[in-house]
Amino acid sequence: MVPSPADDAARERELVVAAQRGSTEAFAALVRLHQRRAYGVARAVVMTHEDAEDAVQDGFLHAYRALDRFRPDQPFGAWLYRIISNAALDLVRRRKVRDAEQLPDSVPLPFRDPAEADELRNRLAEALKALTDRQRSVLVLHDVEGFTHGEIGSMLGIPEGTARSDLHHARAALRHLLEDIRSD
Amino acid sequence: MSDYVRLHREDDPVTRGLRELHAPPAAESYWSELEARIMARIAEAEPAWWSELGRWARPALVAAAVLVIAAGVLVFRTREEATQIAYEDVLAAPTPISLEGTARPASLRGLHGEREETLRFLITY
Repeated sequence: MVPSPADDAARERELVVAAQRGSTEAFAALVRLHQRRAYGVARAVVMTHEDAEDAVQDGFLHAYRALDRFRPDQPFGAWLYRIISNAALDLVRRRKVRDAEQLPDSVPLPFRDPAEADELRNRLAEALKALTDRQRSVLVLHDVEGFTHGEIGSMLGIPEGTARSDLHHARAALRHLLEDIRSD
Repeated sequence: MSDYVRLHREDDPVTRGLRELHAPPAAESYWSELEARIMARIAEAEPAWWSELGRWARPALVAAAVLVIAAGVLVFRTREEATQIAYEDVLAAPTPISLEGTARPASLRGLHGEREETLRFLITY
């Protein structure tokens, strides 16, 4: 028999309470439950897979340390993803400071992943770089991860209306940048 | 067609491309390894918590000792004050000495009575 969402929520609450009492096994089970989605949230904010991995690890560590402040009657996922997105935003800020401090000797060549050799993906990757960090995050969190405007606003610390407007502008920019591909 | 529909359709090439670009790794072994790394970092962080507690233990003990000493001094002073007040009360209370003197029989006055009379005489003149 397939467990219902209510069963899943009850099971998750049990795990949270056990983790709050110090069970690392229970926390590991929570990591198993949420790490894929957490990766998706982090990947929406940062530019690379490696940074997303780092943000996920940082985020889970922060969540573990803050676990005693979490009220188990609230949805754990929403709380966790907010922490993960904060960890990812911190990483982006640190990267910006580091990049601003380092003066490149030469213009770096764009990294070519063999798996991304396809033209659309390359064009898309370039187009995403033209968006602001927040617009890109909102677009990916909404269109790839399926979060609502309200959830995105809560994760990124912006009003729901701002998330909605960022999404609109991100889509308009992408449509403009990829007009020739989209007209196929 | 609105942006939403154009960019959100499952068969839309941009949406598909976005999903491919941001797709999480598919291999199950990757996730087991990531979980292990997360839990290893948590295990590393735990001794830090204990050492942090250890770092605060010495100042906390000193603070507790100072508090105990201060409380002891306070209690001692309070008791001393109470004793002092009790003594002062006793000393300030009227004594029956003068009455005793007047009520003393003449036979007992003896030398003391004579000395007193001499002193009175000298003071008067």
